[in-house]
Amino acid sequence: MDVTVAEYIRRTVLKIPRDEIKTMLQKWGFLSETQLQTVNFHQIKENISQDVVQLCEENSADIKQAAALDIIYNHIYPNKRVWSVYQMNKTGEETEFFDLTDFKKKFKRRLRSALKNVTINFREYEDNAIWIRIAWGTPYTKPNQYKTSYVVYHSQTPYVFISVSVLKSNLPLLCQALVVASNYHDIREMELRSHSLNSLKDIVFKRYSQNFQTYYPRPLQEGNVAPESGDLRIIQENRNEKERIQRVNQEVFGDGPQPKLEFAQYKLETMFKSDPKMDVLDEKEPFRCLVKFSSPHLLESLKSLAPAGMADAPLSPLLTCIPQKARNYFKIREKKGFFPGSFVSP
Amino acid sequence: RGKMEEGKAYSPDGVFAHLEMLEARAHEAAVKQEEMEEQEEKLARLKARVQELRLQRDELRAKVDLQQKGQLGKEGVVSDPAQPSARAVLEWKIKSVKAMLQIFYLTGISGKLTKRGVCFCISTAYEGTYLDSYHLDLLTKAEVQIHRHSVPVFIPLEQIAKKYLQTDIRRFLSVLSDHLNAYAGRRYQADQLQDRFSDRIEGTLQRNSLCNLLVFNYNVSRKSKTFPFNVRLLYGDLCCSLPTEVTVSCTPDAPASLAETAAAHSDLFRRVALHKAFRSFSSAEGS
Repeated sequence: MDVTVAEYIRRTVLKIPRDEIKTMLQKWGFLSETQLQTVNFHQIKENISQDVVQLCEENSADIKQAAALDIIYNHIYPNKRVWSVYQMNKTGEETEFFDLTDFKKKFKRRLRSALKNVTINFREYEDNAIWIRIAWGTPYTKPNQYKTSYVVYHSQTPYVFISVSVLKSNLPLLCQALVVASNYHDIREMELRSHSLNSLKDIVFKRYSQNFQTYYPRPLQEGNVAPESGDLRIIQENRNEKERIQRVNQEVFGDGPQPKLEFAQYKLETMFKSDPKMDVLDEKEPFRCLVKFSSPHLLESLKSLAPAGMADAPLSPLLTCIPQKARNYFKIREKKGFFPGSFVSP
Repeated sequence: RGKMEEGKAYSPDGVFAHLEMLEARAHEAAVKQEEMEEQEEKLARLKARVQELRLQRDELRAKVDLQQKGQLGKEGVVSDPAQPSARAVLEWKIKSVKAMLQIFYLTGISGKLTKRGVCFCISTAYEGTYLDSYHLDLLTKAEVQIHRHSVPVFIPLEQIAKKYLQTDIRRFLSVLSDHLNAYAGRRYQADQLQDRFSDRIEGTLQRNSLCNLLVFNYNVSRKSKTFPFNVRLLYGDLCCSLPTEVTVSCTPDAPASLAETAAAHSDLFRRVALHKAFRSFSSAEGS
């Protein structure tokens, strides 16, 4: 077995939390059950990884199997990477049949024709997600297994989720290969980024809870309003307002959990509006300003702002449009004759 | 009479001819009489029938009147203690309206007017099983626009909207509903196959988001030996939940009789739902 492969497997195993190592190796399926039973999974990780490498040596693991283990790790812990969303376009109206074998063949051929030194591995999952792992080399050096990009693609959709690591220069090549393999014409990066891959999928696939008005009887929500029982001496003075806020919030955010985003960024290129008498800025130039909202769970925190009394309901549409517009990076420019700061560029 | 006298006055031949003529006339008259009598009988019968039906109608009318009066009586007379309260009546009305809306929902396409337009709900079903529902929030103030929706991204919504949304909204909904229902049906079949017949499938079932191309291997047993079959199902019509192209192939070293089986299976897949086809294989081989 190749020394680099052995080292790569060892380091991959070290990344896995100790309690999860056995399950992940079972999912990998490269080592037999009897082999796994010879490993003591209670010792320190350093020793576990050595034992695993030893077993892989017995089975003569190559880079393909090592890459498979890496994909499995990243599939279970996708939130360790930052994912960007790309959208593909096509003009034709033919029905797509999406043949997986065809896709893989075209992708590999396109990529390898431009750069021979790449390691490409695929893994398909039950939800029609195709995971592609690419380790990049250069025309003169072998692929570096520690400089990998991941692509997640759901067949017959125009969206691709890409987690690029250091080598951004390979991105155009990657995009080209994707477009060719999936029978689209072009691809562009969307203004949507997050650590949570599933939340990004929820947003573009419209799987998050949107509040549609229907007649179909849904179970009546009691809402977050505390039940009447309690100290009768306490009177809710602004119950009407509280209920209005609940209602508005529900209309805007829906009932279910929000997709998980870590930040929203607004780049302002608007004019500074001051009291004309003060005349702060002599030249009428746009006041460049960047506003960034950060949170472990941005949309849930926005949802709780009004009920917590920290903001008026309804919130600004600039904040609430994030899932529907499928973006969390905005550029706000001046719109002539309009309320300043309210024009959002497409 | 004039003729009779004439014939009598002249030749003996004339008498027979005359008699014949009289006979014929009498016969004609008798036939006519019979016809008339028949007509009169028929008329009488029909008149009697009309009377019968009128009587029935009056009876039914009386029944309906009685029912209506009975109900009105209950609502109108306030002092009657046995009649249900206004609240009970309201609840009954709400219940029947809800039932009506439920029926609309179960038909597959239902809608509700909103402040800015209308919100449609398309619910899918396959052979009696209700599956997912999808929503479309339309704006109708200026031109018709889709404000938001929950239609899966691999359904060609933009294409369908471009064709029909502005001109014929009924057709738009109908076509979209066909797409969604067919997709739901295809997915249901593929899921059923994976859930219930996983022991017959070798390796993985290759599918895609639209479930319009399925490729897999399954086992066919013949004389206590199992042979692998490979099948490729292509669903060319996105509004249809049965495949348009089926290719079933067996390995080259398989016995010749298996080719017939492959053809039979191929035909079955074209006509019958996937999981049902497998159920019939299992029952045929189990015997």
